[in-house]
Amino acid sequence: MDVKTQSYVTEAKKEMASPASRTFLDFFLPVLSAVREIGMTSFPDPAAAVERARAIRRSSVDRLGELLETFERNAVKAGARVFWAENAHEANIYIRDLVNRHRIPYVTKGKSMITEELGLNEVLKKNQTPVYETDLGEFIIQLLEKPPFHIIGPAINIPTDEISRVFMEKAGMDSASTDPVVLGQAARNFLRDKFRHMRLGITGVNMAVAETGSILNVENEGNIRFNKSAPGIQVSVMSLEKIVPNLDDALHMTRMLCRNGTGQKLTSYVTLDTGPRKQGEKDGPEELHIIILDNGRSRIYDDIKTREVLQCIRCGACINVCPVFRQIGGYPYGWAYTGPIGKLLNPLLLGLDRTRDLYGACTLCKACKTVCPAGIDHPSMILYLRNKNLAADPVLQGEGSTFAERLMSKTAAFAATRPRTWNTAARLGSFLASKLGPCHPLVSAWTLKRTFPSLPPKTYRDLRKHP
Amino acid sequence: MMNKTALFIPCSVNLLLPWIGEAVDRVLKRLDVVSVYPDRQTCCGQMVYNKGFFNEARSFATHFLDVFESFDAVVCPSGSCTAMVKHRYPSLFDDDPKMKQRALDMAGRVFEFSQYLVDVLGVTDTGASFSGKVAYHDSCHLSRDLGVSLQPRTLIRAAQGTELVVLNNGDQCCGFGGEFSVSYPDISTAMVSAKAQSYLDSGADLLVVGEPGCLLNIGTYLEKNHPGKQVLHIAEFLDCQGGENGR
Repeated sequence: MDVKTQSYVTEAKKEMASPASRTFLDFFLPVLSAVREIGMTSFPDPAAAVERARAIRRSSVDRLGELLETFERNAVKAGARVFWAENAHEANIYIRDLVNRHRIPYVTKGKSMITEELGLNEVLKKNQTPVYETDLGEFIIQLLEKPPFHIIGPAINIPTDEISRVFMEKAGMDSASTDPVVLGQAARNFLRDKFRHMRLGITGVNMAVAETGSILNVENEGNIRFNKSAPGIQVSVMSLEKIVPNLDDALHMTRMLCRNGTGQKLTSYVTLDTGPRKQGEKDGPEELHIIILDNGRSRIYDDIKTREVLQCIRCGACINVCPVFRQIGGYPYGWAYTGPIGKLLNPLLLGLDRTRDLYGACTLCKACKTVCPAGIDHPSMILYLRNKNLAADPVLQGEGSTFAERLMSKTAAFAATRPRTWNTAARLGSFLASKLGPCHPLVSAWTLKRTFPSLPPKTYRDLRKHP
Repeated sequence: MMNKTALFIPCSVNLLLPWIGEAVDRVLKRLDVVSVYPDRQTCCGQMVYNKGFFNEARSFATHFLDVFESFDAVVCPSGSCTAMVKHRYPSLFDDDPKMKQRALDMAGRVFEFSQYLVDVLGVTDTGASFSGKVAYHDSCHLSRDLGVSLQPRTLIRAAQGTELVVLNNGDQCCGFGGEFSVSYPDISTAMVSAKAQSYLDSGADLLVVGEPGCLLNIGTYLEKNHPGKQVLHIAEFLDCQGGENGR
């Protein structure tokens, strides 16, 4: 998919002015956060459950290499074909060639952020292979040609009349309706036909279990189950951090993922499958291809400070509580991942130089860190990215600092250890700031909807010394 | 009572909101706490640290430790400055065990104002009185970084004539975020307007906060858009005796 991370500020303004987005953001996100909180109370000991989940994710990532090799061994033993893709290109070519080799007329897909990251749909489109998204939300945004708004609710912000219009135009719906049941039925009618003749289905992976070589998916629509059981060929694409050591851990993380994502104890469908169809089995694919995608993650892993981001299970809890996301929604993040996790993953995968506003536009409020069931400290990593950007880090493609930024920070650090200089400079600085005209960008930014604070005649320090 | 209590006054209070510092002085005096204002103090360095200048932030940390480490307790009327000292300073010295130890020793002795009153002094009733409904905004660094959210509420509830009311989304960020407020003014003001709306909806006569940054942000927003709606720092609130604040 296109990278639009550099239009963050303009996209944000647009979204804040959009009444449809506002309705969703103001109402639905707090609800999602609330159902998550209610969901979490269904654990006998919620705090212990979170602690355990964080420990599982930490150790899974620490043992990443070893667990992935075990996973591969067991998956292959069960009959799966495992392909290690170093980058998006390799993964896309593998899938494209598979489609061509088997003369597949069209492919169906379950919702997966990883294929958004790959830009797989564009590649298949160029190959003249029609792609049908089968998750209702993904189906809607595919027809509308819009990017996902939220990692677990890609079309959650689209009003029903807009869905009705595009369904009539592109999905064979006869008459306009804003009734969700009618709209759901229309999508169902359209997609049933694709399911009936499907030959190759592509899905993501929520968890890859090393001990058994199994893959696990959670969903509420049954379309992933279709994609994993009905076609002759199943392709499951996973980013390499989706690994967990064993089934016990996978089930705990599943409980955690569902509660944090939608507040459910368990989603309507959970599929856990090991290898392709075996002799005597009624369903399941004849071929199972598992693609393990790196796409820059080894580099993320190598840096002990950024490694933590690989603990993410994509539940979306951080997104729903983020006060910035609650104002601007998902589009400004400009790529596959949105909200606080997008502020980390997009810069780490795309480079710091073209994602500056993502790790810049954060108040470090720690709402994300507080809810994260995977133990990610988003604010600390955001600060780390800011630091690496100023330092022009070559690995993360930092931009470096401007002369003015260096001058300010060096001068401040110099004065910080010299109280006299500090006080004079601070007094002078605030005096000058108070004299800046309303046209100065800093002043106009502050006074957009606020008054400019007036400078008191005496500092606290002066008052204390000469009361 | 502790032996030596030092006041650490944030830059924003020193330069823009000195009456908050004076309110801190008066409340402590009323509680018979002798506090010292170390003259050599400068700044916690949060501004440069949050920008990503970690090396420069080390100068601030070193100076802070030099000035304050001889005290038994350091009290600061800001959650974010307190959190900077308590949580960020130790992480700045991962490569320097000696400095890290100094930072860790300090971390246990630095307190946000309301935290100091309740947890260290064991005070709940400061003798404040304010007749009316009060809502409390949980500043991010106070509530999530320091875990301080009950202490200010305890102090507010104890004030004579005061009814503490619920603020919806009370722990959601007000949109200040230091430089964020001027780098992303549209997002920042959208956030503060949501906060102001919660305040209006709460039916409170007064909003109390523990963070000077939030106070500046919410205060100047209210002044422009809802004149007459008041917001006070917790120290100013506790300084109230008879309804009128102690400015």
